[in-house]
Amino acid sequence: MFGLLAIEPLTAGTPVPIEELLKRSYLDDYHSNVVFGYRIITETERFGARYSGNQLRCSNCHLNAGRKPDAIPLNVAGMYPKWRSKNGRRNGIGLRIRECFVYSLDGIMPPEDSPEILAVAAYISHISYGEMIGEAPPGRGVPTLPDTGYDPNPANGKAIYDSKCALCHGSDGHGIPGIPPLWGMDAYNKGAGMANTKKAAGFIWANMPLGQERSLTHQDALDVSAYINMQIRPGDPRRSKMLKLFESISGLVE
Amino acid sequence: MRYLRLLSELIPWRPSQAGELKLTTEAFAAVVAAILVIPQGITFAYLAGLPPEYGIYTSIFVTLFASLFGTSSMLGGPNTAVAVLIGITAAPFAGRGSPLYIDYVILLTLMVGLIQLSIWLLRGGKYFQYLSPAAITGITVGVGIILILSSLDGMLGLTPSETLFFFEKLFVMADDWQALINPYSFTIGITTVIAGIIAKIRYPRYAILIAMFVGYATGLLVMGIFTQVDTEIELLGHIPFQALPLSSPKMDLEYLLVGLAMLPNAITIALIGLAQSMVIIKHLRSDTDQSINLDKEVFAQGIANTLAAFFSSFAGSGSFNRTALNLSLGAATPLAGIVSAFIVFILIDTLGTLLSYLPMPVIAGTLMLVGIGMIKPGEIARLFSWTGELSVFVTTLFGIVFLGLQTGLIIAFILSLILFVLSASKLDINIKQDDKSVQIRVEGHLFYASIDQLSSLLKRHRYDSVLLDLSVVSYMDLSATEALAKDLQNRDTRETTFVIVLTSRKLLDHFQQRLEGMPVEFVYQPST
Repeated sequence: MFGLLAIEPLTAGTPVPIEELLKRSYLDDYHSNVVFGYRIITETERFGARYSGNQLRCSNCHLNAGRKPDAIPLNVAGMYPKWRSKNGRRNGIGLRIRECFVYSLDGIMPPEDSPEILAVAAYISHISYGEMIGEAPPGRGVPTLPDTGYDPNPANGKAIYDSKCALCHGSDGHGIPGIPPLWGMDAYNKGAGMANTKKAAGFIWANMPLGQERSLTHQDALDVSAYINMQIRPGDPRRSKMLKLFESISGLVE
Repeated sequence: MRYLRLLSELIPWRPSQAGELKLTTEAFAAVVAAILVIPQGITFAYLAGLPPEYGIYTSIFVTLFASLFGTSSMLGGPNTAVAVLIGITAAPFAGRGSPLYIDYVILLTLMVGLIQLSIWLLRGGKYFQYLSPAAITGITVGVGIILILSSLDGMLGLTPSETLFFFEKLFVMADDWQALINPYSFTIGITTVIAGIIAKIRYPRYAILIAMFVGYATGLLVMGIFTQVDTEIELLGHIPFQALPLSSPKMDLEYLLVGLAMLPNAITIALIGLAQSMVIIKHLRSDTDQSINLDKEVFAQGIANTLAAFFSSFAGSGSFNRTALNLSLGAATPLAGIVSAFIVFILIDTLGTLLSYLPMPVIAGTLMLVGIGMIKPGEIARLFSWTGELSVFVTTLFGIVFLGLQTGLIIAFILSLILFVLSASKLDINIKQDDKSVQIRVEGHLFYASIDQLSSLLKRHRYDSVLLDLSVVSYMDLSATEALAKDLQNRDTRETTFVIVLTSRKLLDHFQQRLEGMPVEFVYQPST
């Protein structure tokens, strides 16, 4: 009823770019959730602080707030619910987002109906406008690298890391403000998708180093990925349960 | 003069206003109040549909402002009935906990504060004494039942289900319990409740705190064995705590339209908040010798809620249980409340992270314990001695449980008023009659509603000499006087006399003016 009185009524059918939404003084429930979701994705440590456990942002991997192809874009609302081998269940978009909080953000699993999850889901469906339901959008996930015929070589990975990555991510991998850490106790944990060497290699090849993407060879990307994922990082929350709990609690007291 | 008095009520409390200030006693009471308000703040924020930090801010800022501008040791802050009503009011306009929802709650809080301030300007504080104790018991029990029912959602790990009637919700739960109920959440929740009930026997004051510790330990154990990912136990999460959480109520056209739609509920929240605070003030005034100014307390509640809107807090009111504890620890001035706000701040700033892994079923269990504590069989049993009070209680309770909290509250207010008018309009009349004369002694207020009883009696004794004893009557309105005058005109004046016994100078003047030339004599016996 009140929406009719708004100067320019917003409907879910005609998507307004997020930058335009940010300028508006009043948004209806759906669009205010879209904006909240955008803020969670771009400033996770502030707006998603309740459930995230490290200082990573969603947009550290979902580049350009999930709108860059081949960088795990978020315009995938039409693909859910679907079955995933990771947990052996049929997953809604809500469960998928919750798992990001547990693994990549190394935090607490939010409930399905928490405002944060609903907001991110609203944002995902907002940027999925125009995609086909049930079909993968172009550039979904990360590119699968062709088999190079060689095993990943972490020693070569270290050499490449030191020359090409360490400038921003630091030689200790802990990152600098604005650049995410790659390992250490503030990075993603062992259950995250990035902890999978092949997936991380695809991401690195397609997106890194920033501005010179696709400059590494497939083998180099695989080597760097293996080197990064060899380092110490928080454990998988599904394994060594007591240890994981102790890790979380000792982290709180610090 | 009047404006001067209003202005003087704006001044915050100063230590010089207290006769003697026992600093250590007040400080200790403040520490205990601070420890107890944190779980309440988080729980009531959950009840109001807000993230936990808003409950913490409410515990700090509403408590601080209510005490700073108050005159008594009453502790303000988050309150059950107010939190439930906030949840009910804002829910139709936005999803619980969403940014828009929070904007609406902030706006609602400002509205509640402003309504309370206008009640203060109209000197409305005294009218809350008309709320009958039976209605208050009805409201408390009703809110208790609502709390128990809403705690089931969190305890069983359900998504808060929007069902119209509570029995529908219970039916859905019982019908599909295997699919709906999360056994891990249930284990933690029920452990919390049982621990609380056992702790209540030995340490009634700290029962909630003990229950929370036991529940937290159970939660850690369950998560240590099964992990949070598999059990899907809902956790409180990190509280993003800011030292100065400034907020501003949004005032665009769209917000104001929603504000208009929320207005009836805002009035109800303002009234129920003030009613609870005034009941506490009434108790404090009769039980202690604190220098309490009723109107200033109304102002304190109003300004606390108005300012709350600018500090990311939701509306609150005086708290029964925390005030009682505060009193039992010897606090006698607003200082305890002011200090406790700062202690909450320090506690959350230093130890707040410990709360991150607190399971929500523990919060829900706490809520159930609060709900159980609100249903006091002793108080209900006492009501059975008088049908009037009992019917007010039963109607209020029925209204709250079956028609919704707002409707129930309106019923409570109206019934209290009716009960008050009924009892005020009943005259106690003693008649002593002999052969030719009659002595009538009247107790009560003589006004338009009660005069009928007396005038019909006088009509019957028109041919007798009458001695009307009004010595304990302190109030008489115009229509009562006119009715008396009309009766005097119709009297048989030849053989009978009509004498009125009075003790009040005011009434005597009133009668001599109005009944000039009537066949009536006055006996004035000034009370010594």
